[in-house]
Amino acid sequence: MRSRRAAIGGRLLVRLATSVMVLWGAVTVSFCALHLTPGSVEDALVGTTIVTPEVRAQIAVDYGLDRPLLVQYGAYLGRVVSGDLGYSYQRHESVVSAIGAGIGPSLQLAGAGMALALVVATVSALTTAGRARWIRGLASGAELVGTSVPMFWVGILLLTVFSFQLGWMPAVGGDGLTGLVLPAISMAIPVGALLSQVMREGLERVLQQPFALTARARGMSDGGVRLRHALRHALLPVITLAGWLFGMLLGAMVVTEKVFSRPGLGVLMLDAVHGKDLPVVMGVVLVSATVYVVVNTGLDLIYPVIDPRLREAT
Amino acid sequence: MHRALPSSRWIRGIRRPTSRIVLPTVLTLAAGLGLTACSSSADSEAKASAPVQGGTLRFAVHTQPTNLDPHSSPSDVTALLTRHVVDSLVAIDAEGKIKPWLATSWTVSPDQRSYTFTLRDGVRFSDGTSFDAAAVKANLDHVVDPKTKSALAAGLIPAYERTEVLDPLTAKVTFSRPHAPFLASLSTPYLGIQSPAALARGQEALARNVVGSGPFVMESFEPGKLVTYRRNPDYAWPPQDAELKGPAYLDRLEISIIPEDSIRVGALSSGQVDAIGGVPSVSVKQLEANPNITVQRQQASGGNYNYYPNTSAGPFADVRVRQAFRVGIDFATIVKSLYFGVYEPATSPIAAVTVGYDPGTRDLQRHDPQAAAALLDQAGWTGRDDEGYRTRDGQRLVVRWMFVRAIAREQRPVLAEQVQAAARKIGIDVQFLDVTLSTYPGIAARGDYDLADFSWQRIDADALRDLFHSTNVPTETGSGANAARYQDKQVDAWLDRTLETGDPAERAELYASIQRKVLEDAAVFPVYSPSYVFATSKRANGISWEQPAYPAFYGAWTTGE
Repeated sequence: MRSRRAAIGGRLLVRLATSVMVLWGAVTVSFCALHLTPGSVEDALVGTTIVTPEVRAQIAVDYGLDRPLLVQYGAYLGRVVSGDLGYSYQRHESVVSAIGAGIGPSLQLAGAGMALALVVATVSALTTAGRARWIRGLASGAELVGTSVPMFWVGILLLTVFSFQLGWMPAVGGDGLTGLVLPAISMAIPVGALLSQVMREGLERVLQQPFALTARARGMSDGGVRLRHALRHALLPVITLAGWLFGMLLGAMVVTEKVFSRPGLGVLMLDAVHGKDLPVVMGVVLVSATVYVVVNTGLDLIYPVIDPRLREAT
Repeated sequence: MHRALPSSRWIRGIRRPTSRIVLPTVLTLAAGLGLTACSSSADSEAKASAPVQGGTLRFAVHTQPTNLDPHSSPSDVTALLTRHVVDSLVAIDAEGKIKPWLATSWTVSPDQRSYTFTLRDGVRFSDGTSFDAAAVKANLDHVVDPKTKSALAAGLIPAYERTEVLDPLTAKVTFSRPHAPFLASLSTPYLGIQSPAALARGQEALARNVVGSGPFVMESFEPGKLVTYRRNPDYAWPPQDAELKGPAYLDRLEISIIPEDSIRVGALSSGQVDAIGGVPSVSVKQLEANPNITVQRQQASGGNYNYYPNTSAGPFADVRVRQAFRVGIDFATIVKSLYFGVYEPATSPIAAVTVGYDPGTRDLQRHDPQAAAALLDQAGWTGRDDEGYRTRDGQRLVVRWMFVRAIAREQRPVLAEQVQAAARKIGIDVQFLDVTLSTYPGIAARGDYDLADFSWQRIDADALRDLFHSTNVPTETGSGANAARYQDKQVDAWLDRTLETGDPAERAELYASIQRKVLEDAAVFPVYSPSYVFATSKRANGISWEQPAYPAFYGAWTTGE
């Protein structure tokens, strides 16, 4: 028993160390990428406006741009460890507060979109897997459309119908739930369609397995077979995919944020990349990488709960 | 008393990046499905003639502000959002005349270097502190303080030396050399008077909240979403000419930020906002067809959207090649067809509404491909290669364009491609350089381009000084707007004289000479005069217009609700 705990502890330590390496790598790569692209930060800040040489010098001093690149990198890493992500060049606020303002709406949107997508995918896969040809055809047709239509197009269509025409939802300034419904739906459509495809395929494979036949032979109802046996098997690849999608959504959200005029990490990142606002770019990269790591670690912990075989393995 | 010596007001050359997703297809498709936004909540009430007290006006802008401090930020949306929060010492009217505002009178020293202002008594900032000469000093000192990192305001008063408080209601501002454009600059929100107590809170606080003595008080700012204001009930010190004398009609003003064009238009047609700015030219017809909506266009003053050839090196160093480019391409027709008549084709480097514009420049504009061919022949570009481009000594006639696609707005990339196609017809190969906002200043400083493009909104013809004075050629040590790298002693002398003379007639003459000279030298290819297009529903009334380019809300009122 003790040795097993030690093994789990060891695995956790390794996991933690690799996570730190991932985060360090993410920060370093983004630092290099932004410094390797042509153009200086001062130039990006000044743009095409006319500033006095004193203002230019002040910018360089304020942001430590007059120091060698390696020193800037070292200083940045040092500050990150102490929880200070620096000060935005353009936004006149600390990176922590800029991200703090954006991460709430982003997580809400990604979370709501993801949850909705999972529910829709599960329901649709459970009800259509292994059914008559025309039902499956209908479902997979809908999925194909869902994964193919661009997210912004869905967003604008939803706004046109439910906001401009029917007036059910505000197009702008919606707080809380009313402001979240349409953006979450527009995100859930492509994600849900993709997950539904994967899940139905998995379900259909499982339903052909001998144990499914055995369960039916025991007199179990069709719904029971699907819910108690098949779903668990089909869920694993979906959960893996969902974890990856969640991380991706944080970035892909910029389109939805633009269409629905929502603040969030996507818009923050886009503006920062355009303006060469290094501290914000690196801050968002770091936070996104952290979210990835946390979500994937969380998923690793969930796998054994879903699949008992993995429990034995540990 | 001194007459107006109007000047620089506005830099909007190239805007900060605001990437947008343009979706013509979705609209077409939506229309096909019968889903086009129709006007709901139609307010059938006819516009009442008497303003209504109270209510909330909801406006939507298209640009995202990142910094609300007009002393620091150069962006036009900052001016739009703060104009009704900060008052200025002086106001300027459509003819460029300077009018009293927070300063009741002023005198200018004979050497044109100092301005002594007598200030209005009894003015209070919305935080309760009093406006006085010390406040004037605190504001101007704040503008030039390097810590403010001013990207525009400090450039409006480059020769600023100091402000002295002579007594609580008298302030004397001194420059190191004559700077006649000072009073006009002073009328802009960029040099607006903020509460010294608020200034003391530092740039981070100022970027999110501005405190002034204006008719509205900024209440909240949600970045990327919304700015809200409430009426300042004590307001009693508008500009001398203002129709309204006391507090604003509106109880509240809400300005939301909707970057996506089709959503902004939809929000207006469905009555979710009362007025919008930045109406895309493709939507103008659709909105004009809606009986509940009024579309207003206002031409922006200052430098038009022009192309500037690099006159110092490359093919455009030869004046004949520049002239050939200008007469060989039918700019006016391209502009008319692309913008559906919303933007006027330009004939001068500055817009027709600008004080100092020379109407005589219209006669200098023509389209004549044969003349262009003759000019290119004279310049030695007589050969032709297999693709049909002109050559000289085996070298193709190539024009390299420093075009910043990432931040181009108003369909300028489409315009540029049409110009490229038109240039091909006269045998010129126009190529686009891969330029981003951060590489632009370096390329501009080195002069490593043949063509540049931008607009330069300012209150008056002083824009010409930025655009054509030899000291404003971009270099490694200093940025500048003379992208034509134009250096002409005569033009420099005329421009220098405009800083010193207060005589409007002489200034008009000087500006006319300058416009003609730079057009004759083909140091600029005028393209179009940008207009600010905004649309209002029947609920929204009394939104006024302030040059060069933004709506103002002091006298606004709403019907209904």
